[in-house]
Amino acid sequence: MTRFPILLDIYQRGDGPLKRVERISLPEAGDYAIGRSSENQIVLDTPEISKRHAWLLVRDDGIAVSDRGSTNRTYIGDTEVDTSPWDGALPIRIAQFEIHLVPQTAAGAAATKVNVPQDNATRALASGPATGAPSPAPRGQSIEVALNAPNAPDEMRFPRNVFKNEIVSAEELKSSEYFVGEITYLSVGAGLGSFVWADHLRIFGVAKSDIRAIGDDIIPYANYQRLCRNSQIPPHERLRSNSISTPDNIWGFPGYASRETWKELKEFRFTGLKHIFQVFGEASLTQSFTPRSGEVFKSIDSEAQRIGWREMFVSGRVLGIRKTNDERYAVAYRVPEDQARGGVRERIMIGKFLHVATGYPATRFTDDLQAFKARFPEEARVFNAYENHEVVYRTAEQNKMPVTVVVRGRGIVASRIIQRLYEARKKNSGITIVHQMRNPIGAQEGYRYKRAQRYVYNHIENQAFNWPKACWGGQILREVERATPEERAKIYEAIGGTTTADRRDWRNIIQLGIGDGWYKPVFGHFETLELVKTDQGPKIQMKLKAQGSQPAAEVVADFVVDCTGLIGDISHSPCLRDLVETYRLPRNPAVSGAKVGGITVTPDYEITALRNGTGRAYAAGQITLGGPQPAVDSFLGLQYAALRSVDHLGILGAPNVSLFGPLRSFSQWIKWCTNATP
Amino acid sequence: MLPTLKGRWLTRILLFLWIGVPITFIFSLLVAGPRSPSLPFAGWHYDILPFQILSLLLLVGLILDPVYIYFQQFRWERDWPFAFQFFFSIVEFVIVLALVWWGVLDFTRPASQLHTSENYLLFTIHFACVFIPSFTALLGFVQIFMIRWRFKGGEWGRM
Repeated sequence: MTRFPILLDIYQRGDGPLKRVERISLPEAGDYAIGRSSENQIVLDTPEISKRHAWLLVRDDGIAVSDRGSTNRTYIGDTEVDTSPWDGALPIRIAQFEIHLVPQTAAGAAATKVNVPQDNATRALASGPATGAPSPAPRGQSIEVALNAPNAPDEMRFPRNVFKNEIVSAEELKSSEYFVGEITYLSVGAGLGSFVWADHLRIFGVAKSDIRAIGDDIIPYANYQRLCRNSQIPPHERLRSNSISTPDNIWGFPGYASRETWKELKEFRFTGLKHIFQVFGEASLTQSFTPRSGEVFKSIDSEAQRIGWREMFVSGRVLGIRKTNDERYAVAYRVPEDQARGGVRERIMIGKFLHVATGYPATRFTDDLQAFKARFPEEARVFNAYENHEVVYRTAEQNKMPVTVVVRGRGIVASRIIQRLYEARKKNSGITIVHQMRNPIGAQEGYRYKRAQRYVYNHIENQAFNWPKACWGGQILREVERATPEERAKIYEAIGGTTTADRRDWRNIIQLGIGDGWYKPVFGHFETLELVKTDQGPKIQMKLKAQGSQPAAEVVADFVVDCTGLIGDISHSPCLRDLVETYRLPRNPAVSGAKVGGITVTPDYEITALRNGTGRAYAAGQITLGGPQPAVDSFLGLQYAALRSVDHLGILGAPNVSLFGPLRSFSQWIKWCTNATP
Repeated sequence: MLPTLKGRWLTRILLFLWIGVPITFIFSLLVAGPRSPSLPFAGWHYDILPFQILSLLLLVGLILDPVYIYFQQFRWERDWPFAFQFFFSIVEFVIVLALVWWGVLDFTRPASQLHTSENYLLFTIHFACVFIPSFTALLGFVQIFMIRWRFKGGEWGRM
C-alpha cells in the first residue's frame, strides 16, 4: 500500500558530489509526467532531459516508472527501463538527476501538514513540506526543478495563472499575493550583463533604490567563474580578454595592464613594465595583454561594493515576463527555498524599464557524445570542457599506464585543455593527446574578410580574441551596425569561426608534442563511438570517417573532452522561449552554428517588439547574438550594450539618467578612482 | 586603437585644439620671453612660427590619414597598434621638417631668419612637448572625458 503524501528527493550531479536540489511531495495517486517542458508535473529543465521524458505512475498499490521514448532514456539504478515497477530501493536516474524515494518512516516523521489551502493544488505541490535541512539550489546552475499539480490545466500554474494575456492588468497583479513591488529599472539575469548595466545607470545618476536585478547568484560573475574553472582557467591564469575590457570600470581606463604594472612597481618589480609594452605593441610586435581571471573578479567585487550591488540584487529565477496595461513590465520569478514566506516562493515585480541579460542557457554536447553518454551513463569518460572534468586530470596524473585523451575542437578552450594535459604529463609521461578537428586548414586557407586574411598555424586559426578587434569599436563594428540583417549574416560568416590566441607557450607545446609523438591531430567526424574492454580496462573506441585526402582512422581513448562550446540558442530557456512566442519577437539570422540567432535589437539594444507605450525593454549579451554587434558575450561587448541602452534612456528622459557629457564623465571617473559612491 | 577615417580626422583635430594649441601658446610665450623681457607679447611676430609648424603637422596628418586607413584594411584585426601610431607620428614630424627645409614657409619670413639650426632645434623641442601629452591622451585620458570615443573609432559626440 502506498502512503500519501509520497516524498521524493531530487538530486543533481554537478560539480562535486550529488546535491539535493528539491524535495517534492505527491499528495495523491495520479500520472505524474517528468520532462523538460512546463506542461509536465515534474519539470527538470535541462537540455539532456526530453520535453516529455517519462511517467511516474503513482497508484494506491505501488509506483511505476515508464520512459516516454526519451533521448537519454530512464534508468532504475543502472538498469535501463521502459516500464517497470519502482520500490524505491534504487533511485530513478535521468540524465544528471536522481530521484530518491524518501522512506515511509522518515516521511511519516517528516511529512508535516501542508499548510496551504487544498484548493490551490499548484501552491501545495510547489511548496511541499519544508523538512530537513534546507538545501539551496546549486550556485550558477541553470536548472529549474519544479513540481506542477498532476493533470492541472496549464493556465492554473504560476505564472500562467496570472499571466493570462499578452498584456496583464497591473491593478490585478498588485492585488495578488505574489506582488512584491515596483521599480524603475529592472534587469533580469543578474549576471555580468545586468551588473554592467546597473553600473552604467548608477554612474549616469540613478539611485540604487531605483534599480533591481533578479538572478540566481549575488556574485555577478558566478556563472562565468564556474565556466572558467571547469575549462581550466584558475585565478592565476589569463582570460582571453583585453586590457581595456573592464567590467568594473565603464571608461576602460586604467586598464588591467596598467593596474598590473602599477601593482608590481609598488613592490619594486620592474618586470611589470612589460604589460605596458604589451599594450603598446599589441598585436603586431608583442602578444596581446590579457588579464588574470582572479584580478578581474576582484575588481568586480570592488565595483559591486561601490555601487551597492548587494542592495540591488534580488535572488530568484525568472519564470515569465509580460507587458502591463500601464506601460510597464511584470516579471514573475521564484525565490530559493530558504527565502519562501509561508512556503510561497512565487513573486511578481513590476518595472518601467526592463533589461534582459540571461546569458548562455546550456552547455553543448555534440550528438555523438550525447548518445555515448546516454548509452554508458556509468562511464565518466565523455565531458564537455565547461563542466567539471577534474577526474580526467586526476586519473591521467595518478595512472602509471598510458592514458589517451581526445580533445575535440580547435578553440581557445581546447588550447587551454591541451596546456593542462601538458602539465599533467610531468606526472605521467604516458599521456597522449589526440586532437580531433573537423578538417585540416592550410596556411593560406584562413578566413577572409574584405582585404584581410586570418593567420593559420597548426591547422588552427589564430586571433587574439574571439572576434577581430575592430568588432569592439571602429570599422567592423560600424559595418555590422549599418548592415541589413542579410548583409550581417554574410559578415558574420566571414569573420566568425573558431579561433585560438596566438600564445607562444601553446605553440611550443604543440611543437614539442608533435616532435615527441604525444600530440597527434586527427581530422573528421566520428563514425562510431563504442565502449571496448581492453587489458587496461574499458576504453572508448572511435572510428573516423575518411574525408577528402584524410584516411579513415581509429582511436582508442580513455577520455573525450568536448571543447566545442556552449549552447547559445535561447529556446533552451523556457522564460525567453515564452517571451519570444508571446510577443512574436523577431530573431536575428543564425550565426556560429546556432539554428536561429538571438533576439533582434536596435543598435541601442532595444527590443522594439516589446515597447509598451513609454515603457522600454532592452537586451544584452549572448541572447542578442547575430545583431548589431558581433562580440555580444564579451566584457567589452556587454559594456557597449549597456552604454548604448543607458544612453538611449538618457535621451528618452528616463528619470535621473544624465546625458553624461565630459564634465560628469570626468567627475565620476574621479569618484571611481577614489572608490567613492557614484 | 580601432580608428575609422572620420575618427582619425576628428581625433587629430581634437588633440590639436585640446593639447596642441594650448601647449604651443605657452611654448611660444616661453620662447619669446627671453628675447623681449619687457613686453611679453612683443615676440608675437616670432611666436607665430610654432603655430605654423603645428598647423603643418595637422595638415600632413589629415592628408596621411586616408593612407593609414588604406593599409589598415589589410590587417585582419582592422586595428592600429599604439606602436604604429607612435612611429608614424614621428614620420609625420620628419615630413614637416622636410617641407620647411624645402621652403613651404619661406613666404612667411626671410630665409635667413627661418632656416637656422636654432629654429630646427626649437621645432624638435616643440614637437616633443606636443607629441608626448597627445600620445598619452590616446592611451586613455581621452575616454575619461569622452566615454563613447573608443567605440566610435575616434569620433566625437554621442552614439
